[in-house]
Amino acid sequence: MKIKLNSKTGFRIIFFLTVLWGQCALAQQTTVSGTVTDADGIPIPFVNIIVKGSSTGTSADMDGNYSIPAAPDATLVFSYVGFKTQEIEVNNRIQINLQLQEDVSALEEVVVVGYGTQQKKDLTSAISLVKSEQIQKRQTTTVAEGLQGLAPGVNVRGGGQPGQEATIQIRGLKNLQSANPLYVIDGLITTANRDFNPNDIESIQILKDAAAAAIYGSRAANGVVIITTKKGKQGPLQVTASSKMSLTSVPRYDLAGQEEFVRLNNMAYDNAGEPRQNLDLSVNTDWQDVVFRTGLIQDHNVSFSGGGENSSYFISANYFGNKGTVIDTDFDRVSLRVNTSGKKGIFSVGENLALSNAKTNEIGSPAADRGNPFIDVIRMFPTVPVYDENNPGGYGYGKPDVANTFGANPVAIANLIDQEMENFRIRGNLWAEIDPFPFLKYRFNFGYETSFDNYFYLRRKGNWTMNQADEPSMTNQNKAQSMTTLIENTISFNKDFGKHHVNLVAGMTYQKDRYEQINGTKRNLLTNPNTGSYFDVLDLGSEGVVGGFRNESVLISYLGRLEYNYDNRYLLNAVFRRDGSSKFSDTHKWGNFPSISAGWRISNEKFFDLKDVSDLKLRLSYGELGSGNIPDYEYMIFINTLGSMVAGKDQVLYPAATQIRLANPELRWETLKQTNIGIDLGLFDNSLQITADYFIARTEDVLFGFPILLSTGNDGGNPITNAATVENKGFEFNAAYNHVVNDDFSFNASINFNTLKNKLIKLGNGFNESIQGNTVTRAGQPVGMWYVLQTDGLFQSAEEVSNYTNSEGKIIMPDAQPGDIRFVDLNDDGQITNEDKDVVDSPWPDFEMGFNAGAQYKNFDFSMNWIGSFGATVYNGFRSTVDRFDDDTNYRSGIQPWTPENPDTNFPRVVKGTSLNARGDSDRWLEDGSFVRLKYIGVGYNVPNQVLEKIGFSKLRISLSGQNLLTFTKYGGLDPEFSNSNPFQRGVDFGAFPNLRTYSIGVELGF
Amino acid sequence: MKKTTTLSILASCLLAMFSCENDLDVENPNSLTVDQFWQTPEDAQQGVNSIYAMFYKDGTWARWMYFRLDLTSDEGFSKSPWVELADWTRFSYINYDFWEGNNVTWRDNYKAIFRANQVLAYVPDIEFSDEHKKQELLGEAKFMRGFYYYYTALLWENIPIVLNPSTTTELPKQATLEEVHQQIEADLNDAFNALPPQWDDANLGRPTKGAAKAMLAKLYMQQHQWEKAEAALAYLISGEGALYSLVNNFADNFTAANENNSESVFEIQYGDHNLGGTGETQDAAVSTTRSQFFAPRNIGWSDGQARFWLVDAFKQEKTADDKIDERLRYSLYYPDLTADFGDLIYGREWEWDDDECWFRKYQRNDRTTEDYFNPINYRLIRYADILLRYAEVLNELGRTSEAYTYVDQVRERAGMRPLAEAYPSIGNDKQAFLERLKTERVLELVGESVRWEDLKRWGDLDSQAAVDEIAKRDPDFENFEVGKHIRMPIPLSDVNNNPNLDQNPDY
Repeated sequence: MKIKLNSKTGFRIIFFLTVLWGQCALAQQTTVSGTVTDADGIPIPFVNIIVKGSSTGTSADMDGNYSIPAAPDATLVFSYVGFKTQEIEVNNRIQINLQLQEDVSALEEVVVVGYGTQQKKDLTSAISLVKSEQIQKRQTTTVAEGLQGLAPGVNVRGGGQPGQEATIQIRGLKNLQSANPLYVIDGLITTANRDFNPNDIESIQILKDAAAAAIYGSRAANGVVIITTKKGKQGPLQVTASSKMSLTSVPRYDLAGQEEFVRLNNMAYDNAGEPRQNLDLSVNTDWQDVVFRTGLIQDHNVSFSGGGENSSYFISANYFGNKGTVIDTDFDRVSLRVNTSGKKGIFSVGENLALSNAKTNEIGSPAADRGNPFIDVIRMFPTVPVYDENNPGGYGYGKPDVANTFGANPVAIANLIDQEMENFRIRGNLWAEIDPFPFLKYRFNFGYETSFDNYFYLRRKGNWTMNQADEPSMTNQNKAQSMTTLIENTISFNKDFGKHHVNLVAGMTYQKDRYEQINGTKRNLLTNPNTGSYFDVLDLGSEGVVGGFRNESVLISYLGRLEYNYDNRYLLNAVFRRDGSSKFSDTHKWGNFPSISAGWRISNEKFFDLKDVSDLKLRLSYGELGSGNIPDYEYMIFINTLGSMVAGKDQVLYPAATQIRLANPELRWETLKQTNIGIDLGLFDNSLQITADYFIARTEDVLFGFPILLSTGNDGGNPITNAATVENKGFEFNAAYNHVVNDDFSFNASINFNTLKNKLIKLGNGFNESIQGNTVTRAGQPVGMWYVLQTDGLFQSAEEVSNYTNSEGKIIMPDAQPGDIRFVDLNDDGQITNEDKDVVDSPWPDFEMGFNAGAQYKNFDFSMNWIGSFGATVYNGFRSTVDRFDDDTNYRSGIQPWTPENPDTNFPRVVKGTSLNARGDSDRWLEDGSFVRLKYIGVGYNVPNQVLEKIGFSKLRISLSGQNLLTFTKYGGLDPEFSNSNPFQRGVDFGAFPNLRTYSIGVELGF
Repeated sequence: MKKTTTLSILASCLLAMFSCENDLDVENPNSLTVDQFWQTPEDAQQGVNSIYAMFYKDGTWARWMYFRLDLTSDEGFSKSPWVELADWTRFSYINYDFWEGNNVTWRDNYKAIFRANQVLAYVPDIEFSDEHKKQELLGEAKFMRGFYYYYTALLWENIPIVLNPSTTTELPKQATLEEVHQQIEADLNDAFNALPPQWDDANLGRPTKGAAKAMLAKLYMQQHQWEKAEAALAYLISGEGALYSLVNNFADNFTAANENNSESVFEIQYGDHNLGGTGETQDAAVSTTRSQFFAPRNIGWSDGQARFWLVDAFKQEKTADDKIDERLRYSLYYPDLTADFGDLIYGREWEWDDDECWFRKYQRNDRTTEDYFNPINYRLIRYADILLRYAEVLNELGRTSEAYTYVDQVRERAGMRPLAEAYPSIGNDKQAFLERLKTERVLELVGESVRWEDLKRWGDLDSQAAVDEIAKRDPDFENFEVGKHIRMPIPLSDVNNNPNLDQNPDY
């Protein structure tokens, strides 16, 4: 097209209307005229105007001016692509100027679907869109957190540790390796990890079913999150700056104070007939006060954007700092982005480049059960001092007969151990397009991502727990670089043939990933006599160890997609992808993955005539996706040559080598087969939009390292095999309502709902079931069901103990005493053993919901997000620690253990040293994990335009918000919204870092 | 024309892509693969060495075996505040998958067997210029496989026998104790034939013919095959393999000085060369952590200690010159140690309870603390044990009078009078002799991981009356159920996942 329209939308204009200048015979007709503009007052050309109920119509001119003959009581209908259709009563007026509202929920929304775009109305698969504003108003480290509750079927679990990356699961647990979806940022296949600045996001689409994700082939089985970053828009330089400050805090345990602790501890020792400890009553430490603090998050962002007719640029810089809510933790990120593009004739080129440097400081010790502050604070007694000069290093901790705990002093760990990670990442792509014909486009995309990672660990001399071995000072450091190279060639063909619209994409992609690391360790570090600190470079010290490795993988794919649209009524979409991966052996390298989907826009059928239904579409899809999400070289069997043995008179080392880990050379692609049925419904001019989807996703040959027999002697990780078939069936529903009451007031609300039924169809390796911790995974049942002993109240008397017999009269728990737990002898063998365990509950929620609402009144706006999860049974690891009493810890405040004087309780008698009541494998620790949480609530104020003009700004906005302020739950742990990355222990909350309560204030300005 | 150019650019771009499929063949730059290994005699040697490296792992002799053998027996017990850990030394087994108490030892024993199986599967195909060397290496592997099956059977009895390199999908069949014993016997006999009577200085610590015979003797004794046991022991005492003698100083058996001495029949070699963990990294420790776990409170983890009846047992009989048996000094830390012998405990006065005592053998009393890197070799089979065993076997064969001299050799080093002189009432009473021998074995060998097999062999765990007797010394045996606790529960995960494996009786 030669004519450049001064149109904001820039869409091609299509006339459907035949303008009829019929004879206006009726005397009462007058002429109405006016100007149609958009919300910013810019004229909209060629808007269609008809007189309702007649054949009279016209269209506005280039400057938005129109004039139309109409009766004084007539109604004019204004419509235009991209804007909401409005009906205005003439009401005796002769001039009507109108602002058309942009149709935010319009079906004409363009959706990025991978190697191309589609209009939302033409979608045949399950894709969710999330608007950037919704993500950016929250205070988040990663994109995933921002998605929480906004899209049905997208389950996000966050955590409050600085730099912690939220876990995200799309449509359930489809495989067992990693639930993380594939992220595609501006065409670069990558991860939207904490190095990525969420402020740069322009839009997010989530491809949920196989047909949608198919074009990305392998690795897309968990769904795809496509992120498009902001681009410059035509016009002069626009500057926006935003700044957000947040105060954060962690929820706290309700722990016993010193007095209550002492009373309960003495009771436990008395009941065991053991002498009481000599608790140090002069000490009263509140470990939570010592360890937790108010955190501070700062998020400062500035961007510059603009462009000419054929070019655009966008530059942004961001600083994100998070001083953690736990001592000695923080996270800092500096990032910079430059996106530019240009066009000349049939050529266009562009690049997206992001640089970031992120640094975290974490608390933690080498021992798995120590150094987690959420466990340490409950294992330390109020009678243990923070500092104790008599201990090596000077910190207080357990002491035999005085404070019998192996809990670790978190202050000691914070000060004795430094743990820092820093990475500098360059992520970007460069693309070029040629459009030799209007219907043909060739695109070349080169993506490159590299990260330079530094890890630093320093362990000073000193102890943090009772009886700890004397360990030398030590530093361990590594330097690593990761590199991803992506080369993509795609050709797309796009043409209408009458009512037939055809879009073809064909292409080939090549991706190479590489990670190299060198590392070193030194012990017995020297101290600098001037500063007293260690020389922490790898030069000084002894016992040096150096190491390194390099991992490499290559993925080559061919892809093709056909989109066919007949008359906007019948839609067909077919995708084929062939993937080759270096991660499989030669015979299993290649896999073929087809998918097909179809849609029927019933509302465009002639016979369809329901006034209130503005859009109705049925969708059906089936797709197969391959997944090769396993470590590099997994199919190879290796020899470990690092071992050594001592021998000889001089006790010297001799080298040793052997195979340690088993491997499975026959590994092949995991295949997800997913069927999706969906319906899209728009009502009342699309002010109410409803989307519902039902899916069946079956994953075959699931790649997973189930525990193999210990009698194989395998060590170094369970070898991955094609080990299982998993099925997820789910229903997703989303309803969104937008209503503009008048110029001053509008509101919107949306609700989403999803259910998911997970089921293991079969296990591989000839296994019947896999028991992990307190869960069992069995064919025919969901993954990771609770498999524990059942409790049946407390024995109230010796008589009850002796009356508790099996069918043959054998006393089941002869050693029990009044106040002890009665366990159920399920197999009736007269004793309590592992055989009495049974599946009691599911860690999977029955359904999950999100509720979002917003309103705008004049310059104020308000919004909130709620999330809810219902019906999951979870394991309260906190309670299983503090309520056990066989091993000393601090306790919950207010518990009422059974005593002869207090028999009316469900809390068993407390006894030191016997694990009878304390056993971790009973339903005593299972709780209802349902919750409803106000995830986000915020208000904003936009300074009015009149004021802004005076001060020369185009935008000034102030906002106040809070996150996780309200939670309704019966769960007794810190946070019902915890996450556990082990798929079999997803319901186990043991020291998970809780979500933070956050209060934020933000300022955003533009000029 | 322009369009033609464009199209040819497109075509060449796509063609360039098709040529890169070879890139999918990615070699691993980090490690040898199995088919690249097992090619040379050096590979065979390193493969054999890796079996010995299993001595440095948690589940075996670097840590938990001492809990299974010394603490579970009536010599030791655990007061660990880690209750589950302590429960597993007192027949209170609740979670059969408890890693530290059960699974890691099961796994690590099979891990060692896997290593031996690799040698036995791959080395026969390797070409050696020195065929004798090859047989020697195979003999070492056979010895080690027999060794690990011996201890695995001692703990769990009804175990699967795996004789080939492990695969991911194997479901090995459970064997009876008799079948396991037959397998051990075959392996040890093969080992005996292939191993040298002695090693050169550079290879001290590898098993010899004598070590193979000693292991066979242990095996036969557990099976009450006294004649076979007699023959095996005689090999070490009076036969071709009579290369051993008691060292003068009893304490030399438990310190870093005088390792691999004349008394050592089979000795686990430890060092403090590496200060890493117990995994498979290049700095993995080659040490034992026993002393860190057995050291008294405030010094080490104090997870295991000795029963006080041992102190009394030592003090029941004075030496020929009317002194306290000095073996007590080097065997235990007890309240009167300083008063009796002048020794401090890690430089401290006694600061523990009056009725407590701790194991001293292999502890490092020359220090003030312990750590994970104890380099003291563990004399798993020493000649004193052989002598006492020989006495026991002769007594069982009705040759009680011949047995005295072997007990006396051991007593003499300790300064004790000859047995007949000290206990004239025993005479040729077989039962009385055995009862005395039980005490002699404790006094000489306490804390040396033989007590559990002794109790099993003597039948002291087979009747309630005998167990009640033990429970007087060690109340942990009040939990002991005859017929059940004589063997441990097999790790639940293997029972659940291997249809060919049943849980041990009554579990």
